Amino acid sequence: MTAAHGRPARAMAAPGVRAALVALLAGALCLALAPRFAWLGQWPDAWTLPLTQWAGTAVTWLLEAIKPLAREFSALMRHPMDWANLALHATPWPITIGVTAALGWYLGGFAMAALGAVGLGFVVASGYWTESMNTLALVAVSVPLALVVGGAIGILANEMPRLKPPVQALLDVMQTVPTFAYLTPLMLLFGFGPVVGLIASAIYAAPPMARNVLLALERVDPEIREAAVMSGATRAQQLFQVEIPSGASQIMVGVNQCLMAALSMVIIAAVIGGFNDIGWEVLLTMRKAQFGQSLLAGLVIVVFAVVIDRYSGTLAGERRRHDRRVVYLLLALSVVLTALFWSSLADAATFHVLTPVAEAVDRSLTAFTIANGATLDAIKNNAMFFGLLPLRIGLDQAVLPFTWGFAWTGTMSWALFAVAAVLCLLLIWRGRPAAGLMAMIAAGMLETGIADLPWPFVLIGTAALGWVAAGWRLALLSLVLLSSILLSGLFGRALMSLYLSGAAVFACALVGGAVGWLAAVSPLAWRLVRPLCDMLQTIPLFVFLIPVLMFFQIGEFSAFLAICAYAVVPMIRYTRHGLVSTPPDLIEAAAASGATDAQIMRDIRVPYAAPTILLGLNQTILYAFAMLVIAALIGTTGLGQSIYLALGQADVGLGVSAGAAMAILALLADRIVQGFAAERRRALGL
Amino acid sequence: MSRATPPVIACQNVWQVFGPNAKAALADALARSGGDPQAAAGLLGAAGLIPAVQDATFEVGEGELFVIMGLSGSGKSTLVRCIAQLLEGTSGEISIEGENVVGAGKQRLTRLRREKMGMVFQHFGLFPHMTVAENVAYPLRVQGVDRKRRRARAQEVITLVGLQGREGAYPRELSGGQRQRVGIARSLAVNPGIWFLDEPFSALDPLIRRQLQDEFLNIQGKLRKSIIFITHDIAEALKLADRIAIMRDGRIVQIGTPTDIVLRPVDDYVREFSRDVPKGRHARVASVMQPTDRCRPGPDDPGLRQGMTLDVALARCMDLYEPVPVWDDRGACVGAVNPADLAAALQVEDT
Ligand SMILES: Nc1ncnc2c1ncn2[C@@H]1O[C@H](COP(=O)(O)OP(=O)(O)OP(=O)(O)O)[C@@H](O)[C@H]1O
Ligand SMILES: [Mg+2]
Repeated sequence: MTAAHGRPARAMAAPGVRAALVALLAGALCLALAPRFAWLGQWPDAWTLPLTQWAGTAVTWLLEAIKPLAREFSALMRHPMDWANLALHATPWPITIGVTAALGWYLGGFAMAALGAVGLGFVVASGYWTESMNTLALVAVSVPLALVVGGAIGILANEMPRLKPPVQALLDVMQTVPTFAYLTPLMLLFGFGPVVGLIASAIYAAPPMARNVLLALERVDPEIREAAVMSGATRAQQLFQVEIPSGASQIMVGVNQCLMAALSMVIIAAVIGGFNDIGWEVLLTMRKAQFGQSLLAGLVIVVFAVVIDRYSGTLAGERRRHDRRVVYLLLALSVVLTALFWSSLADAATFHVLTPVAEAVDRSLTAFTIANGATLDAIKNNAMFFGLLPLRIGLDQAVLPFTWGFAWTGTMSWALFAVAAVLCLLLIWRGRPAAGLMAMIAAGMLETGIADLPWPFVLIGTAALGWVAAGWRLALLSLVLLSSILLSGLFGRALMSLYLSGAAVFACALVGGAVGWLAAVSPLAWRLVRPLCDMLQTIPLFVFLIPVLMFFQIGEFSAFLAICAYAVVPMIRYTRHGLVSTPPDLIEAAAASGATDAQIMRDIRVPYAAPTILLGLNQTILYAFAMLVIAALIGTTGLGQSIYLALGQADVGLGVSAGAAMAILALLADRIVQGFAAERRRALGL
Repeated sequence: MSRATPPVIACQNVWQVFGPNAKAALADALARSGGDPQAAAGLLGAAGLIPAVQDATFEVGEGELFVIMGLSGSGKSTLVRCIAQLLEGTSGEISIEGENVVGAGKQRLTRLRREKMGMVFQHFGLFPHMTVAENVAYPLRVQGVDRKRRRARAQEVITLVGLQGREGAYPRELSGGQRQRVGIARSLAVNPGIWFLDEPFSALDPLIRRQLQDEFLNIQGKLRKSIIFITHDIAEALKLADRIAIMRDGRIVQIGTPTDIVLRPVDDYVREFSRDVPKGRHARVASVMQPTDRCRPGPDDPGLRQGMTLDVALARCMDLYEPVPVWDDRGACVGAVNPADLAAALQVEDT
């Protein structure tokens, strides 16, 4: 800061300043000329190309071409699915619980065995056993598929280094394309039914496996690799006898992520209906506003997620051997119990132990919302009127006598700009021209509203940001990709998506940053926050919708909350991690120089943690985009809604284009933030 | 050193250049510098490539223990990786037992490694998921040797390196010294004729290192392999080597016997290495001996022999000023040494 102060000329020439200046100029020009040229503000419909139709035609044609093959495959996949279904349904539930507990013991001793037994016990008591087994059957078939495909991709990319960049790009795209967007084309290919869910979850779950396999293979110590070569191993022997086994723990991380992704996707795929699984149950009860029941079903999902996650998590860690005899004991016990009570063994589907609880929850919830309706509404309305709405449509339209108590006038706009200009000059004088210009830009965006931003400003601003973050290539890429959204006529919706996820990311950055900081300075806080973070990251996205709906009904605010709840976790984790991992000698050096704790935090720990925090922000952004699409279920506008609508109408063109637009936004955000993080890392010499 | 048998390993103008289009860049640099390797390396370096090994030429004879020495980053590992064909080599010829190996096909290389070469790595390179016995038996396993024979042979070499009793342990459960013994055992499993050891003892503490060096000499005494041994420790080199090659920034600056290196360093770089070496302990009488025709033993003949170290020789003729005869093992006179020369040879480092 002080260094820049002494060299204003050089600071003014910094890339950040030049980029900000360009963006500011573009914005100012648009604002000034918009009244005269309407096309500057909004991209005229007449100028759009029917990209959506073209995409629809092309994809449909492609799908029709491979449809016979797909149907074959679908028929083929029926068999393993039937077997899995049969196995899971025909097995008496005490035996399933026994096997799960035995597996838990084998993997992780008493804690895991108890977790499995209690978890499945809860599922039995909930009365959702049949639905759960349907879900589980899908997961059981899709995961091996994803593991094989993902593993093969990882190995292939490792064997042919030339394939690595395209494979990495493909994996990026596969993971940024919103989950729903997969479903429409798949439905066309495979028809209705569980196979769609199966394939979608296999597609969605393969990338993490591929990534981790590739990572594991790349990380094999070169000496170990060479030792295998010098032992006279053939390439296949090197790969399967040395490299893969020695990277086993990283690969197991992949297996864990693959399982979680598959479960999450299977549950999301429930929206297309037709296979009577637990996700469908959540959706159904949610639509009927039976929140107690839907909470119960949601908890069943959470139980599965936690059990699967913790079980497979033990594979990645160092494993201790547990007494094998207990495994046999548990198995034998479950068989004996089943045999003893065979005649009186109730069908798991008939259990409704928890139904009264759910109903009670429902009743008290209704009572609560009625009693506190005014407060809840006040929270919601205030957040909408003073936060979200101005952000969306700008102060000029959001400030109304009815909400703010006065109407926005042109003079007020000028006053706002004048204040921003003063601030800007002040900051320039203090030697921070980039911050000053950003303040001006922020004022302009606040006045206009994100959804009403003129397209030239968005394009130029993003390109400028990309240029600062990672050079002209990214700038060019963002120009090209954003133009394609513009031409397809989806730009307005893209801005809506940008607004909602932007608002959520902003909130997450504030809250998550603060919590992360707190967790970094206070071990107690971390002890409290950590299990919560673990929990939030394990829960499939879908379940986040339930609690927000219970209190705030359908609408943008609920969507906003759901996105925040899901996306805040990485911010917390990375912030804390970055702050905690400052090298102790740096802190000691600062302390020895007489810095106070606050000064150490400001001058040493935060700058040092900056790259890590930026990576957290990056994750938060990606999480927000992922959740945005799911949140379309409870009422958002924008691309997520388009994708969801397309799914309902089986409109492949719209689904694919909106999905692509969404992926483009996520990709650009990812690249830009990664660029800044890399720049920070370089600056720190890491 | 004259050898009756042909060299086991022969390197002729071997280059290893890292960087894009290394082959073309090297050819170009050599052409532009008129074939002068040092100038060519300078050109390559200026162009942003890394000439890690420059124009290396040397031979290793049957049963010879050839040590490559140099500072960290001087290209020792790279050179050995070229010879073992773990790296392709940018240019030059490498032959093993008379067979050219540059550009050899995958299958031939695999066969060569299975039958002729063993390698011990700087950081052990043990397979973390295999036990000691499985690690050691791995080179046999890839050849399809059946389990029983594999076990028996592994047991043999494990006993040879003194690790019996730890066969079932995993590498992470062993100490550094024990791990390196596993590495040595594994490289010996197929009983190769050629043995590469890349700083095998550098990661160990001095006591263990000395112990392993002695055991290594012991093993070599029994097995008589042709060895390339890398180290950056001059004392280790002098203790083990038949001949030493000294590398600096990718170049081999001197090849010679330990005595040559200590008494006749070609430049200051080599001299700097041997600065702290007690020369009298490493240099031999033969190196300061002169031919003579006056071989009459006087009454006070100290009985110098060719292979004596200078320290011992000096101690025997402290009070003599005339040249004294030197005898070989069979008692024949082979030359004479002036005691003043003995003393002078030890003084070199002070100049
Ligand atoms: N794969 C590679 N790509 C690029 N440069 C390399 C590569 N391997 C080695 N080098 C460079 O070649 C030079 C020689 O490295 P080498 O590993 O042979 O040194 P060394 O003499 O074995 O050193 P040490 O004693 O530290 O093991 C170094 O400058 C190194 O940076
Ligand atoms: Mg080395």
